[in-house]
Formats: sequence, C-alpha cells, structure tokens
Amino acid sequence: MATYAEMQQIYDDIRGDFRYHHELNGCLNCGICTATCPSAQFYDYSPREIVQLLWTGNVEQIYDAMQEKIWACAQCMTCAARCPFQNSPGGLVAIMREVAIQHEMQSAKDVLRPFGRVMLKLITTGNQLSPDMIQPDHFPDWGPNIQKVEGDLRTLRKAIPMKTLQTTDTAWEVSLKTSVEMYTIWEMTGVLKSLELMDENLFDVIEDFIDEKREEYDEWLEEQEED
Amino acid sequence: MKPTDQNTGDAGIGPRDPDPGAKGPGAAHGSGQGVAGHGAAFRESGLSREEARAATDWVRKRVDRRNADLGERMEDVRDHMYELEKEGKILIHRIRDEHEPVTVKTLFGWDKQIPTRQLWHHKSCGQCGNIPGYPTSLLWFMNQFGYEPGRDYLDETDQTSCTAWNYHGSGIGNVESLAAVFLRNFHQAYVSGQRHGHDAGHFYPLVHCGTSFGNYKEIRKYLIESPQLREKVTKILDKLGRLVDGKIVLPEEVVHYSEWVHVMRQRIASELQKIDVSHIRATAHVACHYYKMIHEDAIYDGDILGGNRTAIITSLAQALGAQVIDYSTWYDCCGFGFRHIISEREFTRSFTMNRKIRVAREEANADVMLANDTGCVTTMDKNQWIGKAHQQDFQVPIMAEVQFAALACGADPFKIVQLQWHASPCEEVVEKMGISWSQAKKNFQAYLKEVEQGNIEYLYKPELAYGG
Repeated sequence: MATYAEMQQIYDDIRGDFRYHHELNGCLNCGICTATCPSAQFYDYSPREIVQLLWTGNVEQIYDAMQEKIWACAQCMTCAARCPFQNSPGGLVAIMREVAIQHEMQSAKDVLRPFGRVMLKLITTGNQLSPDMIQPDHFPDWGPNIQKVEGDLRTLRKAIPMKTLQTTDTAWEVSLKTSVEMYTIWEMTGVLKSLELMDENLFDVIEDFIDEKREEYDEWLEEQEED
Repeated sequence: MKPTDQNTGDAGIGPRDPDPGAKGPGAAHGSGQGVAGHGAAFRESGLSREEARAATDWVRKRVDRRNADLGERMEDVRDHMYELEKEGKILIHRIRDEHEPVTVKTLFGWDKQIPTRQLWHHKSCGQCGNIPGYPTSLLWFMNQFGYEPGRDYLDETDQTSCTAWNYHGSGIGNVESLAAVFLRNFHQAYVSGQRHGHDAGHFYPLVHCGTSFGNYKEIRKYLIESPQLREKVTKILDKLGRLVDGKIVLPEEVVHYSEWVHVMRQRIASELQKIDVSHIRATAHVACHYYKMIHEDAIYDGDILGGNRTAIITSLAQALGAQVIDYSTWYDCCGFGFRHIISEREFTRSFTMNRKIRVAREEANADVMLANDTGCVTTMDKNQWIGKAHQQDFQVPIMAEVQFAALACGADPFKIVQLQWHASPCEEVVEKMGISWSQAKKNFQAYLKEVEQGNIEYLYKPELAYGG
C-alpha cells in the first residue's frame, strides 16, 4: 500500500500530463459515458466514476481505481464521443495507465505480463502481430475452422499478391533501416525505460535483439560503402 | 427496415396518414386520442403532411448539427495548422490537383478533401497479419481503375505500424513516441516518390487502419497545439534525418482507406460491378476509432442514414444495391479492447457475441456484417465458434466493405479477397451472391501448387516494394 504522499504524487503526475486539461473539462454526473461503455457491461468499471474521482481529486480512490479498474477500459472512445463536456474518460485512462507504469505499480505488471508477446513483437519489428502468432495453437477458442484452406503458412502467405505481405513473422516486411530508426525513437522517448520498469526479462531480450539488428545494419552500410 | 429516412419527423401528423399504426409509439390512432407520450389532451392538428413539414422545418434546422453555429466550442485544428505553416514552423504535405481529390462533408459540415490518386499505402499490422484481403482488395480496385503502380500508388517496406495498438493495450509508449512514429512514417510518405522519379509530396498517405487513423489525427492535434511536443519530436526527427528544411511534415488531411472507398463508390458500382447484390442483407459496423476519435473529422452525408450516422460503409453497400439492415447495437464497439483480445478474451468474445453477432443475426437476419477496420473484423470473425459453448449457436459472415465490393465486382474470393483467412461462414454469402465457393477453392488449391513452384501472381511489380 502506498503512502498518502505517494498517492498524491501519482495524482500530480496524472494532472501534470499536458493532455489532462484536454480530456477533462467538467462533469455533471450524467453517466452517458457509462451507459455507452462496453466494459461497464462486463466489469466493475465506470468511466463516470473515473472522471468523478479525478474531478474531485480523491487521491486514495484514484490510487485504488488504478489497481484494476483502469485496465478494464477497452479504449473504444465511445465515452469521448458521447460526453456533453467533451471529456475523454478513455483518454484519462490512457494517462493513468502510463503513470501506473512510471510508478512501477505491481498491478500494472500483473496485468501486462500476458501481453508481453505483443510488446516483444511490436518493439522489435514495428508490427503488433504476425501471421505465425495467429495459429490454432495460440487461439484454441477460435475453433478448428480458423482458416478455410489448409496448407503450409509460408505457401499461403506467398499466395498473397502483395510482395510486402509475403511474410510469416511480421505482418509486412519492414526494412532494416526503418527498424533501426524506430529503435532510436524507442530510446529517445523513454519507451524502453518504461518496458524495463515493467518486465526486466523482456527488456533484456529486446535489448539483445536491437543490438543485433543495429550490427546487421552497420554491416549493411559498410557493404554499401565498399560497393 | 432500412435505416434511412428515419428522421423525417412525420409521426402523427394528420388523419390522412394511410398507415398510422406503422408509426409506433407517439403516433395518432383511429380514435383521435393521443397515445403514449402525448396525454389525453392531445388533439390532431389537421395539417397535411406538407403543411406539417413546413410548420416544423425550423425544428429540423435547429437540431441539425451541420447547421449549428459552434462558436468557440469547436475549433477546426486545420486552421491552426495553416497558421503554423505561415509562421514557418511546420511543412504541410498538401493535397494537390494531381491527387484528384473529392471534397466531402464531415460531422459539422466542414469540408474534407479525399485524394483519390498517387497514394502511399500505409498498411495495417492487423489487416496484413490476419485479414490480408483488406489491402489486396483495395489495390485490386486501384488496378481495375487503371492506376499504374509506382506512379498512382506505392506499397513499400519503409514503414512501421502506428504502434497505437500497443499503446491503447498496455500504456507502454507515450505521446512523444506516438508522435515520432507518426512523423517518421508520414515523412517517408512525403519523400517516397523521389526514388521513383517523382517530386516530394507526389504520394499522399492513405491510412488503412482505423486505430492508426484516429491516433494520427489525435497526435496531429497535439502537435499543432503544443510547441513543447513539437520541439521534443523535432529533435528526434532531426536525428533520424526526417525533417524537410528543418521542419516536421504534417499531412493536410489524415485519410482512411474507407474514405477512398466512400468517394469512389459510384464509380465502383457503375464501372466495375458485375454481380447483383440486391438480395443480400448487409449490416454495417463502423470502427469506433474511425468516428469516435476526433469525431469532427468523420464523413457524414445528409443522404446516407439521414446524416445522423457516419456515411462510411453504408454508402458503399447502398451504391452496390445491397439491402442495408439496421440493428439496435449499431453504435456499440466490437469488443476488441486492444489488450482484451490478447489476454482477456472472455470479455472480447462475450461482448462481440452478445452485442454484435447475436443482434445482427436475430434482429437483422444479416447475410453479412461489413466493417472497416482491423480489430473489428478479427474480433467478430474469430469469436463466433466458441459461442457454442454457451448455446450461442449462431453465426454471421464478417468481412470488410472493400472485400464485399471486390466480390461484387468479380474478384476471386481466394486469390484477391483472401477469404481463406476468415473463420466466420463467408462461404455462405459468397454462394448467395452466385459465386461457386467450391470451384473457387479448387482453383485456389491448384494455384497453391503454382506458388510452390515460384509462379506467383502479383498486383504490382515486386521490385517496387524496395524502391526499384
């Protein structure tokens, strides 16, 4: 359990985000956001409650909501489209999630652990998912009819008439130069640091991968110069 | 029931109404007494339909958001963008005549230009990884219109996803990273033509993914409004060599592929359609991130759904002549949830089965659900089989509107529309359209033997993907 001062700091960090005043303009408690919220139908979650907690500055309950509730939001932004005050409860949740990570909240670590496979794919390749991730073994609940023609994945992907899509481990072929530029973005914007706070093992794997790709790119550049 | 023309305000307007019972609560009935909503004091006005319409015109005008004076409550961020360019702080990737733009109206009646030619395909990781029939159908249409790859469109390897799926799912990432990824990709779109003998700005980015579309518009707004954010990302883009004359490049419009389909729909129907789809009952699911993020930028059309819902998808289905069937959960999201579809799938599948598939099946008796985004098709397509575990034994074929249009225009269900990757019963709607699924499948299986031998058919010369 965090101290009151720590909870206050978390609230201050949420309010300190420059988007905060875009996303929160007032609240009449009308509840339109919750009435239209998909997550409110299945979770103990209400966007109206999130807005109210932030609007009234209830630091203890904000901290409590950050344990679990903010992770229920589906980020569809129906709430934002509906709010008569032009609030974006979904946008506020996004800020709260970022702050939960910055503060290394255990709840964030627990929630995000099963999402590691997607983060690994995204941060190393620039694609969120790939054909080899969407196989029956990974999604048994999608049923035996997950695709309508049986065959080797590589051959089926080769049968897509766009050259860039004939891949199995990325959604499309991303050039090496593009990947290396993206790694620079991750470093300069603190994304890798956030990842390290959440999952040190995953961070190590990703760092090794990035180092290898950079070496590969440097070698390619040297070859170009020699030519 | 077609969802169009439901906002005419005709309920209970006079005794000459031929079928008052069809109007539901609030309508007058034969006794002359009011029903629910009016109370016992209600009396017929005795006005004709035309007189009643004229008498209430002012109400319709007053509530039409496209005529409303928004004052300072809603600013068009593009005005600030043009000011920044004048001040020399940014460069705008302009839509030029050579992009052959079509002007459409958005939510508040603002103009938006949709370029139709010289397009840089900004792919979607979810579509390319899981539903490749989206981009292949789109490029197929461009070829059918005689577009020349490398001049009229470009599909290349120098792009990443917007990375917003991860951001919305995990909170790892931030505004700066999203902005830098956005500007890097759009800078590449701006300069991409130069390797093919064209000038800068030749190719205009066409964003395939709904979340990328929403995210990029949101980030563009932040970049325009925040000098601090611009300063931070300018340093990053400088390090990457991704500035033009020391400036970041922002797009004049952020354009979604379904907007291209929307403005091309009449040409698709009149020049390319080969199959009558008037017996097909279609429902529409528009991606939340298409019209709920930066909602003022989504396309609305007074002739489509009365201008009360975004025109996207419905406009195409109507142009093709399909029956567009309304259903009560039209506005609901699909249940994708970004993180949920990966690691809390019980939410995703429960929501999509109860709020979308069941309703499309039971209320609309839909032959097909048409969508315009990655996560929506994946969610609704893949999560139907598991419903059997809860006695939810109903299914609806799911595909993108551009795939449906390609089928109606004679594209191969496997080679081009790539329906082999779908789990929902797409074969049923294909057969209902009069296309032999079994023959098409047989042909495709024979083609796979050719693919194994290296005899692959492409929509464009493969070297173009690498700048060749």
